[in-house]
Amino acid sequence: MAEKGHKIRVLIGKVGFDPHDRGILILSQGLKDAGMEVIFLGKFLTAEEVVMAAIDENVDVIALSDHCGVMRLIASDVTDLLKKNGATDICVVAGGIIPDEDKPLLEELGVTGNYGMGTPMAEIVNHIIEQVSDVRGT
Amino acid sequence: MAAKEDKVIAYDRNFGALIRDKTQSNIPVKSVYGPQDIEDLDYQRDLGAPGDFPFTRGIYPEMYRKSLWLKSFIVCYATPEETNRAFKKYIAAGQTGLRVLTDTSTLSGVDPDHPLAKYDIMCNGNPTFALTEYETMLDGISMENIDFESANSTPSGSFFTYVFLVALMENRGYDISKLRGTNINDPIHAYIVYGTPEFPPDLAKKINLDLIEFGIRNSPKWHQCTPCGYDMRDAGINSIQEMAFVMGNAVQYYGDAINERGVKFDAFRPMVFSMSSESDFFETIAKFRATRRLWAKIAKEKLGATNPRNMSCRIGIRTAGNSIYPQKPLNNTARITMQILAAVLGGVQSIDPSGIDETFGLPSEESRIFELDIQHIIAHENNVPLVADPLGGSYYVESLTNELEAGTKSLLEEIDHIGGMWECLKTGWLRQQFDKTTAEIQNEINECKRLIVGANSFQGEDGDISKTIIEGAYKVPPDEKRFGAIDRVKELRQSRNQEKVQRRLRDLARAVKEDENILRPTIEAAKAYATLGEMVGTIRMAKDLSYDPYERIFEPQFLNDVIFERV
Repeated sequence: MAEKGHKIRVLIGKVGFDPHDRGILILSQGLKDAGMEVIFLGKFLTAEEVVMAAIDENVDVIALSDHCGVMRLIASDVTDLLKKNGATDICVVAGGIIPDEDKPLLEELGVTGNYGMGTPMAEIVNHIIEQVSDVRGT
Repeated sequence: MAAKEDKVIAYDRNFGALIRDKTQSNIPVKSVYGPQDIEDLDYQRDLGAPGDFPFTRGIYPEMYRKSLWLKSFIVCYATPEETNRAFKKYIAAGQTGLRVLTDTSTLSGVDPDHPLAKYDIMCNGNPTFALTEYETMLDGISMENIDFESANSTPSGSFFTYVFLVALMENRGYDISKLRGTNINDPIHAYIVYGTPEFPPDLAKKINLDLIEFGIRNSPKWHQCTPCGYDMRDAGINSIQEMAFVMGNAVQYYGDAINERGVKFDAFRPMVFSMSSESDFFETIAKFRATRRLWAKIAKEKLGATNPRNMSCRIGIRTAGNSIYPQKPLNNTARITMQILAAVLGGVQSIDPSGIDETFGLPSEESRIFELDIQHIIAHENNVPLVADPLGGSYYVESLTNELEAGTKSLLEEIDHIGGMWECLKTGWLRQQFDKTTAEIQNEINECKRLIVGANSFQGEDGDISKTIIEGAYKVPPDEKRFGAIDRVKELRQSRNQEKVQRRLRDLARAVKEDENILRPTIEAAKAYATLGEMVGTIRMAKDLSYDPYERIFEPQFLNDVIFERV
């Protein structure tokens, strides 16, 4: 876990075979522009790979993206593994095509944001800052 | 105070002025155009009558009077059974073209039991992992007099669509020379947009040419390669890049087929380009006109077309998927309508509109019917298609057509200078082109220099209509049903004649090693019910690559015997 006041570190990765990566490319740039450190893992990953990299890289946030409507599956695997590895202080945010009816479940898992396309970058940046501040207790 | 006003200006509903003086592709435009802007225009040389070289005004003399554009959409359900029912329903309603789309996992070149596959099984299409799935999907459907349009974009996706269609036709006793339709077979675009690694560039280049060569000799009514500008555009480039890359890819593939496989360009059916119909109305119309004119010259001068028919190109469009937004989704109806109108005014041959609910899931049935009805209204109420190229001669449209052609020509010269599109891909130049433009567009959106109504400006709450649109979209099926595909592929591996599978895969491996055309041995392996993942793995292992393109699983034991010809 990064210390107070350090730059926010965000890991961006896509689990599964959904190839749509324009969203994560844009997000990566937007977060860097906002002064965050981005660890960009790309796509075609397993949930294990994302979680292990997040722990190794000592990130504050995992940002997930999916355009196949299956974020609930991805998010439940990722949050499960975070729990098993005692890394629940890592925030998980998500975006892409996320069915409305899945959003309550995602929130319950602790996955926040759940943004659709066209969400202003400033809104996402502010959300990440707030989530991390909550965890850091600032 | 002034600074604050500047910042909120784009969000103000009452704000009445325009904020741009450039097109969507950042081509600067004046407030009015006149004769001086097109004084060099020569009617015969630059426009010609519809149906005449250089086809600026369209590829048929009577254009839509003779036949309307093809109204097309992907029918992609999660199971072969559902897809089969949908196909039959649409055929009964007069549909003559069927668009085949495989699910995201299978498109990536693996079987449903791959560890990465579980998330995306049955997303966006059905998991056609073996010939069994095609047998079910096309059960009771005649394979003659149907256009099969493959929407499968990845290198393995295009390859296996053709393999399975031909295997099924031969098994059912059809003459495969009667196979009609289109394949995408555009591996360069697939690298950029999808990035699936199953066939690395040199292998993908060989397979691209194998498909073209085998296709032209055995199923000449099938379009073996229809470069896909649409996917590239939707990934975030401008009109000039879209035109240059789609034509650059066509020159690469067809040029290689002529030089390396000894086929003549005149032997092919006329070129088909898939392109995007975008929100910038006049630029989109000009883009289709400029594409036809420039391609006619390239086909004649560069690829040696002697028959005017082979200098023309057909354009099939999808309306821009990335212009559809989830905020205030009712607005999508206006976007799609204008994009369809631009395509009709630009003289395209087929139209596949987005669904207004497409950012929430696959389009619902009602949304599909609405897409068709927009086209019926444009055709039959608005009377738009009565006259060919109705905007021909417009000072603005002609000037914009010239500008797009000139910009594309100069980008194509740069591509030539680098050594063609494969080189542009390998050197990273192509990736840079995408990254630069995507960032440029996104910055404009972030800074409200490019307005998206409902998203970065003119925002508002969703009402009942919007809520209904959101709820109506087709969602992925329940997990139990989706994971059924994993059981099916395992059952298939148990029930088939394993010895036959091994012999057929051995023949395939041998053909790869000896650098022969691999279509015939792959078709035979498919008939023996080898799975898609096994066939991809065999081709890769014969090239000394890992069985699994994603390096998560090992090859099945028997494949080692196959590769080293111990069977």
